[in-house]
Amino acid sequence: MTASWSVIINEFLTGSFSTVISVLKVLIPLMILIEFLQVFHVMEKLSKKLSAVTKVLGLSPPAILPLLVATVMGVTYGAGTLIEMNKKDPLPRKDFILIAVFFFICHGIIETTAIWATVGANAFVISVVRLAIAGIFTMIIARLPIFGEPKYVEVSGEEKAEEKDSDRGGA
Amino acid sequence: MNLAIQTIKIGFIKAIKTTLTLMKVVLPVYAVVVIIKYSPVMSFLERIFEPAMKIFLLPGEASIPLISGFFTDEYGAIAAATQFGFTPVEITTIAMVNLVFHSIPVEYALSRKIGLPAGKFVLYRVIAAVIVGLIVSRIGGIFL
Repeated sequence: MTASWSVIINEFLTGSFSTVISVLKVLIPLMILIEFLQVFHVMEKLSKKLSAVTKVLGLSPPAILPLLVATVMGVTYGAGTLIEMNKKDPLPRKDFILIAVFFFICHGIIETTAIWATVGANAFVISVVRLAIAGIFTMIIARLPIFGEPKYVEVSGEEKAEEKDSDRGGA
Repeated sequence: MNLAIQTIKIGFIKAIKTTLTLMKVVLPVYAVVVIIKYSPVMSFLERIFEPAMKIFLLPGEASIPLISGFFTDEYGAIAAATQFGFTPVEITTIAMVNLVFHSIPVEYALSRKIGLPAGKFVLYRVIAAVIVGLIVSRIGGIFL
C-alpha cells in the first residue's frame, strides 16, 4: 500500500459522497423532465414528425416510437414501449433487432450526457456524435443480407421469425 | 396545474429511488477502486492494459473505469473515472466506450429474456465499442 488506510477511508467517504450528490443534482431535474415528456405524450407527437427517419435507418414506420423513447428517455422506458406495442401490433423481427442495434450504442441520451458532462466529458460528443454513430451502424446493418434467414428463433421470437419468413421475397 | 405538480412529485420520487439503487453500485465500486488505486495491483493492471488502452490514446489507468463499467453499469464507471485525473478528451473517450459496452452480464441476461440473439449482441457491442473508441479518441480533440 502506498497510502495509509486513513487516507483510503477518507477518500472513499468524501469521494463517493460527492459522486452521489452530483448524480442526484442531475437526476432530480432529469426525472421530472422525463415524467413531463411521458405525461404530455411528447414522444408520440414527435414520432409522427420523425417517421421519415425510419426509412433512412431501414425500419418500418411504427418502430420510430420505441426507438425515440429509448434514445431520449432511456432503455427502461424504451423497453416498456416496445412491450406495450408488441401486445397490440408486434413489430417485425428485423425492426426489433435494428432497434437493439441502435440503442445499444445510443440510449438515454439526456441522462448519460448530463451525468458524464458533470464529470468532465464533452457533452456534444457524448450526445450528437453518439447519435450519429448509432445511426450509421443501424443504416449499415439494416442493409446487410443477414435478415434473410429466420435463424434467430428463440422463446419470444418464434412467431415473428415465421412472419419474417413469409415476407422475405424482396430482401 | 395540479397535473404539473403531480408530475414533478412523481419525477422527484423516481429520482430519489434511482439514486438509492445507484448507491448500491457506486459505493462498492468506489471502495474497491480506491483500494486498488493505492495497492501494488494498480501498477500491475496499468502495465497489462497499457497496450490495449493505447489504441484509444488512453493511459493504462483508463482500464479501471472500463472494467468497472463492464461488470456494473455507467454509474460504476463514473465512480471509478472520477478517481483519476483524466483530461476532458480522455474522459470523453472513456464515456463513449463505456456507454456502448457496459453492464454486460446483466444486459446479456436481459437481451436473452426479450428474445434477442444475446451472444451476437455482445460481440456487436465489443466491435462497436472499439470502433467508437477509435473514432472518438481521434476526433475528441477537435471539439475540446
